Amino acid sequence: MDADKLSLKNIIFSKLNRKLTLLFMVVGLIAPAFGIYYFYIISVSSLPSSIFDSQVELLRTVAIMIMLLIAVDAGIIGYLVSRSISKPIKELYYATKELEKGNYTVKTNITTNDEIAQLGHAFNITTAALSKLEAERKEIDSAKTEFLSITSHELRSPMTPMKAQLQMLQEGYFGKLNKKQLESLNVIIRNADRLDNIIVDFLEVSRIEAARLKFNFKQTDIAQTVKDIVKFMEGFAKEKNIKLELKLGKLPIIEADSDRVTQVLRNLIHNAIKFSKEDSKITISAELINNNILFCIRDYGCGLSHDNQIRVFEPFYQVEEHNRRKHGGTGLGLSICRGIVESQKGKIWVESKLGKGCKFYFTLPTQPIRDIKPIKILFSSKKTIERKIKDEFNTILGPLGELEFEELRAKNSLGKEDIFNYIDFLIKEFIIPQGSGENFKDKISEIYGEEKENINMKRNTDEEKLDEEMISRSCEPY
Amino acid sequence: MPKTILVVDDEPDVRDSVKIILEMNGYQVHTAIDGDDCLKKLKEIKPDLILLDIMMPGTPVDNIVKQIKDTKIAFMSVVRISDARKRGLCSQENIIDFFQKPFNVSDLIDRVALILNE
Repeated sequence: MDADKLSLKNIIFSKLNRKLTLLFMVVGLIAPAFGIYYFYIISVSSLPSSIFDSQVELLRTVAIMIMLLIAVDAGIIGYLVSRSISKPIKELYYATKELEKGNYTVKTNITTNDEIAQLGHAFNITTAALSKLEAERKEIDSAKTEFLSITSHELRSPMTPMKAQLQMLQEGYFGKLNKKQLESLNVIIRNADRLDNIIVDFLEVSRIEAARLKFNFKQTDIAQTVKDIVKFMEGFAKEKNIKLELKLGKLPIIEADSDRVTQVLRNLIHNAIKFSKEDSKITISAELINNNILFCIRDYGCGLSHDNQIRVFEPFYQVEEHNRRKHGGTGLGLSICRGIVESQKGKIWVESKLGKGCKFYFTLPTQPIRDIKPIKILFSSKKTIERKIKDEFNTILGPLGELEFEELRAKNSLGKEDIFNYIDFLIKEFIIPQGSGENFKDKISEIYGEEKENINMKRNTDEEKLDEEMISRSCEPY
Repeated sequence: MPKTILVVDDEPDVRDSVKIILEMNGYQVHTAIDGDDCLKKLKEIKPDLILLDIMMPGTPVDNIVKQIKDTKIAFMSVVRISDARKRGLCSQENIIDFFQKPFNVSDLIDRVALILNE
């Protein structure tokens, strides 16, 4: 339907108005007609013949006038009734038109006490939900732009000097090249261009797609998966004469995507090799704890500072500028790991001391999560309190059960409010081993002298706010 | 008297490549490693053109550019010109060109020559 078609005539006397008015008029005309005709027959047949024909004529005229009057009245009533029905419908119609134009703040104000008012109310709820979604979408969009600009910078930067120098060689800046040299150079230039195109394509694809991770679940022997990838990585480890040590607990056969598990392990082991000194060792362990398989990759390399432990899972974050040239890589590996692990409701974190190496942990629930939501990668490079606390709790909950809460609090001077605000988020969002959620609350009520029930109460009031906050800070599904 | 160009880029390889290209085409080239260094260099020399990367560590380029009023500036960047515009970077009058990285060497030379012959 086109809004332009709604002329003034249509607004005053809509199709619905016309139809209902006409219906009332017809009924108003026919109903009394039958009545009067019946009355007329009876009166004519029962009246004595002494009554004059003229009086009968008068009676007929009056009857017709009454009929017409009733018809007009019925028409007026019909118009008014239909108007009261069509007015709120029209209001809804215009509100829908506004919505179509992208105005998500539109609201209807229907005060009739009927189903149409209910419809209007439902409409208001829908637009409210839509405007919330729209706001979220805008947030996601801006974060996506940030992501893309980082990506394009990081991937295309090295192409600039590379292509420039190649062209300089080709154009004889450094002396004339012979035929063979020129041929060789052309091959390089052609492939550099190709690589550049691939990067551009990749950017385009990621721009178009907000892809979701695909998981292919099947019965998987996790122990075998770990053994396989460790064997595969031994080739790389040998180059630096690093020994890969494997410590496997008793692992069940679970439903999982072995390729994804392998991907995470490969990334973590690869990193461990990259940052290990020569002739050192890397320990890879996996054990079953409370319906979770806990993996740990331990290296004895340079370690991470406290600050870097938090930021290392951010996309494109590399510990120090010069490391990029030294170690290569895009800086995406760990954020991809994080995406994979968290999409399965697992956790990933790192424990480290500078100079003493790193322990990268991640968990894999024994039950697969089939309903996978787009993975949120946190982009904030600022040390927001949210990030800080989240990672802190990751660390305390790390060894799955042991809570070194007091120590942590002292170290980071977290406020009471900060802690409270995030407890329920953590209990809800993270896998906390059975019972330890309660232990956690015990510990907090002990430390803060707060009633345990009060901590519970927080859950209801802050849940929504926290969710919103999490959504607003997150972005690009990977 | 050869024309002077100041090349500002945080990546040494880019800086050196551009320097060689321009020098071999008869320009006198100075380099700076970031925005702050660029401002420092501007106190000593008066270049005819500044080739400025718009994504560098340190002081944001927006702030740097605002302090350069009377020298022609050409941007270099891996981001598209539309993105740079969105950031409100190209509004100043003395910003006269935008080199998309990775750039073509002969194109760079042609355009620099065009700018400086005006």
